[in-house]
Amino acid sequence: MTLSPDPQFGDKLINLMAALVLVLQIAMAGHRWLVTNIRIFGVQPFLLASIAATIGWFNHAPHLYFAAILTLALKGIVVPRLLEQVVQRVGIRQEIEPLVNQPLSAIVSGGLTLLGYVVAESFHRPDAGGAPESLGHNTLAVAVSLFLIGFFMMINRRKAVTQVLALLSLENGLFLAAISLTYGMPLVVELGVFFDVLVAVMVLGVLVHRIREAFDSMDVSKLDQLRG
Amino acid sequence: MILPALFLVPFAAGVLSYLARRRQQMEAINLGAFALTFVLAVGLAAQVVRDGAVEALGGFLYADAVSALVAGLTALVGLVTAVYAVGYLRDDERNGVLGGAPQGPSPHAKLRNCYALTPLLVASILLVALANNLGVMWVAIEATTLASVFLVGFYGRATSLEAAWKYAIIGGVGLSMALFGTVVTYYSARALPGADTLAGLNWSVLAARAGELDKAGMRLAFILILLGYGTKAGIAPMHTWKPDAYSEAPVPAAAILSSAMLNCALYGLIRYYALAHRSLGDGFVPQLLILFGLLSMGLSVPFVLVQRNFRRLLAYHTIDHAGIMVTALGIGGALGTLGLMLHMTYHTIAKSLLFLCAGNVYQHYRTDVFHDIKEGVIRSMPLTGAIFLMATLAIVGMPPFSLFQSEFLIVNAAFAGGHYLAGVLFVLFGAGVFAGAILHVGKLVLGPVGPEVPAPRRPWRDSALLAMGALLVAIAFWLPGPLLALIRSAAQVVAGE
Repeated sequence: MTLSPDPQFGDKLINLMAALVLVLQIAMAGHRWLVTNIRIFGVQPFLLASIAATIGWFNHAPHLYFAAILTLALKGIVVPRLLEQVVQRVGIRQEIEPLVNQPLSAIVSGGLTLLGYVVAESFHRPDAGGAPESLGHNTLAVAVSLFLIGFFMMINRRKAVTQVLALLSLENGLFLAAISLTYGMPLVVELGVFFDVLVAVMVLGVLVHRIREAFDSMDVSKLDQLRG
Repeated sequence: MILPALFLVPFAAGVLSYLARRRQQMEAINLGAFALTFVLAVGLAAQVVRDGAVEALGGFLYADAVSALVAGLTALVGLVTAVYAVGYLRDDERNGVLGGAPQGPSPHAKLRNCYALTPLLVASILLVALANNLGVMWVAIEATTLASVFLVGFYGRATSLEAAWKYAIIGGVGLSMALFGTVVTYYSARALPGADTLAGLNWSVLAARAGELDKAGMRLAFILILLGYGTKAGIAPMHTWKPDAYSEAPVPAAAILSSAMLNCALYGLIRYYALAHRSLGDGFVPQLLILFGLLSMGLSVPFVLVQRNFRRLLAYHTIDHAGIMVTALGIGGALGTLGLMLHMTYHTIAKSLLFLCAGNVYQHYRTDVFHDIKEGVIRSMPLTGAIFLMATLAIVGMPPFSLFQSEFLIVNAAFAGGHYLAGVLFVLFGAGVFAGAILHVGKLVLGPVGPEVPAPRRPWRDSALLAMGALLVAIAFWLPGPLLALIRSAAQVVAGE
């Protein structure tokens, strides 16, 4: 089968995959088990990489393939494994125990999605939907929503690992914004982004481990000695 | 050739220190590298004053007066704290506070971490100042966070880990917003020629054609950048990591964080201010900056007044000064930006000196709570006590010290620019911080004669203190011509005149 280079088709494909990423993000916000959360997080990069590859295909921007492969390797494979290892090594409880309960979290996430669409309104250009260089511009709303839901998850969760996870899913939103708004930033920047995600996870991984040693717990709400 | 060498020298020093086996080697590598970095930074400043902006590596590195000023201040703080750190860390090792728990890292490994991470931190701050591409600048700012997280958690106590955790998470969120802002800036610049090349995000390119940037995009980008780099600079309400991080990091590192790293975060903000202000004009951008600046100043007042811990007091003081500088940036114009650049210079010298004094007091009494120190510091540590008091007078803006001049200039600029409410609040908040700091530090230094034994002579630290103290006094009366020229042209770069 040959893939027809019809921009309309590409636009629909990208919208579909972006919607799936958003659904996964809301599912993450509403789910109660830690390992499931990490696995849902692990699926998102596959979709993001496909979006990057699709935009790269229609725009003839080969460096986006590189970004897609990096995303897949780092955020799709390395990072989830690392996080699962941390979870196993420190043997924390599997339940997430958010501050706001799960059904309400899902509703809040829905509200944040609405907010994302309002913020992205001024960038929305429905008339340009057909041109190849504007592919995926309309996914900015999804990117902003991912970002906001990531924020919400950070506030809503008390365990150190879940906060790291929320930070990383927030960065997924960034990646989507970067590829959809600018069809890939200059390559130096992409490299930097991935390098930093990787190192950040290592830093946080070490810290998570040492917090466990020092507090016998992964509950960041116990980190309250420093005040005033 | 100065530009690449300037950040590669401390970078190499970090790597070498990590490989070194003995303490003396690490000390020698650090001292040598920071001395060389300082010479290079002075050389760069001289070149910029003489020839204007310079480029290297095909436009990848770019230094105008703002970069040269920030790099020079960073190198100065780096050198002085490197000298100080030799004495401080030797005492730490002797006092056994580096730990030696059965499973934990050995004291030697910890020492190595500190000696390797400090030059890496300085190297990334210098890269922030020298990078032309706004994306590379963001990467370098993230690198400063990575290097400093381990410095904040250095002592491995429960409180240090808490501080490091807060710092990493809040800093991470801030930087993600800054990256979003960088992405949106790139989007706003998509119509410029060459936008799809590597040079598309170069500041020198964007600043020349700032008028053609997409206005809606720049508006969103500036909000995100202000929140993002504002978190890194510790302006309210994103400041909560700051008192914890500054009071838990080893004192030489805290001195770098409170002066050089603050400058580097403000530097990022200044670069985007220049773009956004040229694109959007007066109104939105200055108002937002003044709002956040005054909020930081106002918020630090009660915390300075009731503070019980002197390192946290200094941290809230830094929040106040970050607010002052952001307000000055918002007031803008020739006068406001000149005040900003002068204030940045003076604050760097005074604040790092204060942290070095606080480190001496902390190490001698083994506490940083005012209440637990029963005697006047000046009784057993005359030099430290005297310089501590002097630097406090300087930082709260007491004439004849130079921070009075810069703050006076900023207030002048506020009234001249029609920001009457901002000017009045600026003076009020300044008075509040003045009262709090003088009260606390005055009591600490000039207390009664107590039972403590006088401190022994500390050649490394005393010489660092004396050098920085002499500099603080000297610039109160005489600012060298070339330095003033550099500061003036830095202000012109920001004001765009």
